[in-house]
Amino acid sequence: MRYYLLLIILFMTLAAVYAPVHCVAAEPEQVPTDAVSFQPVLPVQTGDVPAKSSTQPADVVSDEYDEEDDFDYEDEPFAEERVTIADPIEPFNRVMHRVNDRMYFRLLKPVAQGYKAVVPEPARISVKNFFSNMGYPARFLSCLLQADFSGAAVETGRFAINTLWGIGGLMDPAAGEELGLRKQDTDLGQTLGVYGVGHGLYIVWPFFGPSSPRDSISLVGNQFLSPLSYFYPWYVSPGVIGIQVINATSLRIGEYESLIGAAIDPYVAMRNAYIQYRMKEVNARKAKSLLFKSSEASHPVADTTSRTEN
Amino acid sequence: MKKRFIVFSLLIIFILSVPAFAGAPTVAVDKTVKRVLDVLRDPKLKSPAAKEIKKEKLRVIYKDMFDEMEFSRRTLTRNWKKFSPKQQEEFVNLFEQVLEKSYIDKILDYSNEKIVFYKETMIQEDKAEVQSKIVTSSKEIPIDYRMILKDGKWKVYDVVVENVSLVQNYRTQFNEILADGTPEQLLQTLRKKVKAQ
Repeated sequence: MRYYLLLIILFMTLAAVYAPVHCVAAEPEQVPTDAVSFQPVLPVQTGDVPAKSSTQPADVVSDEYDEEDDFDYEDEPFAEERVTIADPIEPFNRVMHRVNDRMYFRLLKPVAQGYKAVVPEPARISVKNFFSNMGYPARFLSCLLQADFSGAAVETGRFAINTLWGIGGLMDPAAGEELGLRKQDTDLGQTLGVYGVGHGLYIVWPFFGPSSPRDSISLVGNQFLSPLSYFYPWYVSPGVIGIQVINATSLRIGEYESLIGAAIDPYVAMRNAYIQYRMKEVNARKAKSLLFKSSEASHPVADTTSRTEN
Repeated sequence: MKKRFIVFSLLIIFILSVPAFAGAPTVAVDKTVKRVLDVLRDPKLKSPAAKEIKKEKLRVIYKDMFDEMEFSRRTLTRNWKKFSPKQQEEFVNLFEQVLEKSYIDKILDYSNEKIVFYKETMIQEDKAEVQSKIVTSSKEIPIDYRMILKDGKWKVYDVVVENVSLVQNYRTQFNEILADGTPEQLLQTLRKKVKAQ
């Protein structure tokens, strides 16, 4: 009970402290242009770097691409991946993004780093395996609903093997080279996606981060379907989720930082990364589903023999 | 007779051991990655003082491997035309610095993780995707390189890390800024970003 209250209070304070500050958009301040030093673009290899044309008269750049005047990269082989998502509640989302960001850097990351310093990596991987094993019912159900029966069988095999021979799921012998039963990365949100249900709109949940109404089903469903949820009284569950999150974070420190660090607008970067990631996953699941397999044409496989000759 | 047999079987082994997927694009990426690893593993550059030398060497390799122009154009798409040639030049330049500063430490942090190239897909005559993954003790990170053939050389124009294409990611960000901003404002944002990093 105490954990639960503590988390709620913590979250409310954080929200109250940071929300008003970041509602106000930062005014772009003028930086004198000459303060920036330019590095000349120096192609190392000769010729084939188009950037070289920048040293030539202006029209060379446009001439080079003249024949593709309307070339918008729409007809690109990867064009079908261009994805967008409606974001009608962007102001709210941006605030939540800020809150989560602060929470990560001020709370989750320091805690995870402390945990990382104390608990050796193999143990943390075991903890991860354990929680992952508990996600079996949700993955199994998702595979079934997607008509991916081999996936469902693999998951069942994995659960049996890892629970019995993997010390209750602490180890992952099923994924070893001898058996090669790899975890089926799927959830209920993807299942809806496989059947053509769209995201709807973008939501950034406090704590849970980027999501959509469709994908939020996974958040609820995973918790509901996890056997762990039935082994302890309800008020312990935030603590268990907390451990799970801290453990997972300790194995991924640095990933969020590099995404945010490289972004010009971290909020937009995060939103786009999320929908790109989810879309690829849904497509991968579609390719495995018996119902959609044939309609899902994949890229032609490399004809390497003819390529190496020229 | 015996000798001949040995030679023959050796020949067969060599022929069979050439991976089936290793087309020209994969060879190009693989070579570059090996060059990067050589720099990172160089015992002479182990000291922290040699960090700058390492960075300089990596920069050379990067320029050789990436088609910056293609990369920049693809992130801007239609908006590219709104930039004056001078702005375009500056954009390519700034964008490269943003990327370098964001990822160089990640690359320098490399500590002998395994890098596996496992698939190559020809998309068009001059476009290919090379799929690879970095295998660490706790996870696998898929990294795909999208490549374009220009003047007989395969160059990378997009990197897809864990299913997220960098070009598309930056495209949405730039689109958002340029939707109601001018190229100059975007450049200003980039300048600030480079300075802050």
